[in-house]
Amino acid sequence: MEAAENWLVESLRLYQDFHAFELLAATRVLEWIGDKGVFVAGYERLKRNEILHLLLPFRLSVKENQGLFPERDFKVRHGGFSDRAVCDLKHVPGTRLLVTSGLPGCSLQVWQVAEDSDIIKAVSTIAVDEGEESLWPRVSVFSSMAPGVLHGVRLSGLRVVDLESQKTTYASGVTDGEELSSLQVLDAHTFAFCCTSGRLGLVDIRHQWAPSENLSPNPRGGRWCAEIKGQGQSPGPSVASLGSEGQLSLLDPRNLDHPVSSVQCPVPTPSPDPELLRVTWAPSLGNCVAISGFDGTVQVYDVTSWDRTGGQVEPLFTHRGHIFLDDHGTDTAPLITTHTWHPRKPRTLLSAASDASLHVWDWVGPGGSC
Amino acid sequence: MLDCGMHMGYNDDRRFPDFSYITRNGRLTDFLDCVIISHFHLDHCGALPYFSEMVGYDGPIYMTHPTQAICPILLEDYRKIAVDKKGEANFFTSQMIKDCMKKVVAVHLHQTVQVDDELEIKAYYAGHVLGAAMFQIKVGSESVVYTGDYNMTPDRHLGAAWIDKCRPNLLITESTYATTIRDSKRCRERDFLKKVHETVERGGKVLIPVFALGRAQELCILLETFWERMNLKAPIYFSTGLTEKANHYYKLFITWTNQKIRKTFVQRNMFEFKHIKAFDRAFTDNPGPMVVFATPGMLHAGQSLQIFRKWAGNEKNMVIMPGYCVQGTVGHKILSGQRKLEMEGRQLEVKMQVEYMSFSAHADAKGIMQLVRQAEPEAVLLVHGEAKKMEFLKQKIEQEFRVSCYMPANGETVTLPTSPSIPVGISLGLLKREMVQGLLPNTKKPRLLHGTLIMKDNNFRLVSSEQALKELGLAEHQLRFTCRVHLHDPRKEQEMALRVYSHLKSILKDHCVQHLPDGSVTVESILVQAAAHSEDPNTKVLLVSWTYQDEELGSYLTSLLKKGLPQAPS
Repeated sequence: MEAAENWLVESLRLYQDFHAFELLAATRVLEWIGDKGVFVAGYERLKRNEILHLLLPFRLSVKENQGLFPERDFKVRHGGFSDRAVCDLKHVPGTRLLVTSGLPGCSLQVWQVAEDSDIIKAVSTIAVDEGEESLWPRVSVFSSMAPGVLHGVRLSGLRVVDLESQKTTYASGVTDGEELSSLQVLDAHTFAFCCTSGRLGLVDIRHQWAPSENLSPNPRGGRWCAEIKGQGQSPGPSVASLGSEGQLSLLDPRNLDHPVSSVQCPVPTPSPDPELLRVTWAPSLGNCVAISGFDGTVQVYDVTSWDRTGGQVEPLFTHRGHIFLDDHGTDTAPLITTHTWHPRKPRTLLSAASDASLHVWDWVGPGGSC
Repeated sequence: MLDCGMHMGYNDDRRFPDFSYITRNGRLTDFLDCVIISHFHLDHCGALPYFSEMVGYDGPIYMTHPTQAICPILLEDYRKIAVDKKGEANFFTSQMIKDCMKKVVAVHLHQTVQVDDELEIKAYYAGHVLGAAMFQIKVGSESVVYTGDYNMTPDRHLGAAWIDKCRPNLLITESTYATTIRDSKRCRERDFLKKVHETVERGGKVLIPVFALGRAQELCILLETFWERMNLKAPIYFSTGLTEKANHYYKLFITWTNQKIRKTFVQRNMFEFKHIKAFDRAFTDNPGPMVVFATPGMLHAGQSLQIFRKWAGNEKNMVIMPGYCVQGTVGHKILSGQRKLEMEGRQLEVKMQVEYMSFSAHADAKGIMQLVRQAEPEAVLLVHGEAKKMEFLKQKIEQEFRVSCYMPANGETVTLPTSPSIPVGISLGLLKREMVQGLLPNTKKPRLLHGTLIMKDNNFRLVSSEQALKELGLAEHQLRFTCRVHLHDPRKEQEMALRVYSHLKSILKDHCVQHLPDGSVTVESILVQAAAHSEDPNTKVLLVSWTYQDEELGSYLTSLLKKGLPQAPS
């Protein structure tokens, strides 16, 4: 009780806005639809899970007179049921379709978000080439006139399948069985991949498989994931790669062999569940990344002045709400399953943890409130 | 009739329910056995005096004791605003409120109340606000539970709703908040603390208009808990009217609050806080920061309005409205964004910060599922939602609990099939006779029992047919069927009969087949006699006769014999 109350007082100066919710079940998914809604989904095995489309509390989208809007709750705008654990969910931009990936990993599920009711309905499945029972395929979407779903468990099984015709429009065509940890579509014909070993590559789907990648084997070990900064964001290295031993590397896509900087983050290592590792670039806060997956915190770093010398760094901000808000104590503290930045509000993030908590927080930047 | 609320959004007739749904011509008292009010919020009791005194109802109105005490106060407040402030005509009067309350019968939690010899009701704790209850309504073995507004998580001054596994045929619940996921209580409190803190830090004054009960209590406890931690020195005040009233009610209804409050109250005065002092009007003009809780809650009169007028012009100050304000009040105006007000012929410019905070505790999607799990109803009915926005919740409830879920629109009637259980006494003789049959009772395999059901004076008994006949003084009648089977056979009748006997004996090995001295053949109780055809000596007529009880065997025998007899070796 004490610790929770102390933290609450602390939070008065640490956060501008802070909302904490308890979902029915924990989620590993936080996928935006526009800037007012997110999707969450359950990942329990052998149980019926829910996929929910949640609308953010209205007051978070209001620019003026925020004080006159008392509603602080999420609205469940749509809901659906999945018989499988949902480990990833991607919205197909410009449509009312969703693609989910989960366990068992032999197929992807396509859903439709109803327009005239609040139901999310399963509409079709996409068979996964070389699918495996216990590994779920990574997914990313090529959004265009004919959306294509990029997916794969290993490099050898990487495919792009046209959503409507279900025809495979691209295949990696390699026999390399390295396991994938992230897939990210960058534009109409490029995507990036990151393998669990830390191997990174950029692929142009107009040509046969010839990625620009870091070929030197990763001596650091552990499990890795990565994210690439969106277009039009601040200059500087645009690839961030996170390892389960707490290492964070920044790379330039034109020279993946030589990281621009490599630092050690002050996190408990190794990560208790490296599959949950996540590194994200802030969409509207220059040169900031957030990481999670080591404990019950989300850490934000300003990478502007990082250089090759590496070594220890200190986070700009650490969100400890999931640990302290409900008095868990450090023994039974939950683990962050995923986090995401608000597309528009520079310092607002959403974070979800293994205890089904979901936080929306807007931290106060250095120098007082933004 | 469950609840009798007022619609806050309308100023005309639409603000009151349309009672013609109950009856168009008759007296409401003839159509309603009773009215139940779940709690004192105006959207649940605001139309009560209109209903009972202006439309006309003289039957009992049930509610909990706190509701009975608080309702009239809120109704009078509301009446004052409507009539004095907005100049409404055709509104209920103070006398009508009094007359209406005379019809109220107050109930205790978990007390079974007999409304008449068939109908009984029982109240359950609902949390939400002081005195709020959920009601179980029962007739015989059929029951309905109406939840009103409830809350499944305890707060600083009220506990959480609770109901036992009463397994009603139907659970009626609010669905307005069913499609929300509530922000935690801690975060709401944090927001309140933050706003107060920021204002006080910059030297401003915070006005919190409150109704005497509920929220005021909660917020005071909150500030008291954190004032020291936040190292704040500014004074916090409570207008005295508030203290007296609140103390009075809490004393009366101490069992309705949560454990913590009860403990505190027993030790001292409810409102004896370390940092919170009684307010004096003179303090309004004191310089420097301060926080004041004052009544009434909607800034429509009295002390809170006086303070507001003095502080509104300074942008360092803040007013925090902790609840809904009825149209026509200053509270409602400033919450709508109005910054220039006309008061007593003068213009008032509102420069102070206006904050609208919602502390009301409602069950959300999770809460509804919890309650359904607790009560285990056979069916669920969701009210006050939009059908298109509740499809998912309906599916959730149906799939998780395997119950039907209804979402009727306003004015729609829902009919639910129920399977009432009727207790029937079985006579010992009949039971013993069945037991003698030899087979042991098996809970997994129901066994068919034959008897006669006698219904007399609301009493149901199952007895043997013989006993029933005896009791009713009736003679038993037997039905006997006779069928004629024509067979071509030149032999004599006696020979024919013998052949029939051999044939049947060889086929019906499980049955008792006998050849009687008079030539007839019996199979169990069935009689077969051979006779010559009156006109054709080569055709024989077999008369097959059986009782109604042996219908099946009789029909079988007939069709068997129709097939003819096998050629016998000579």
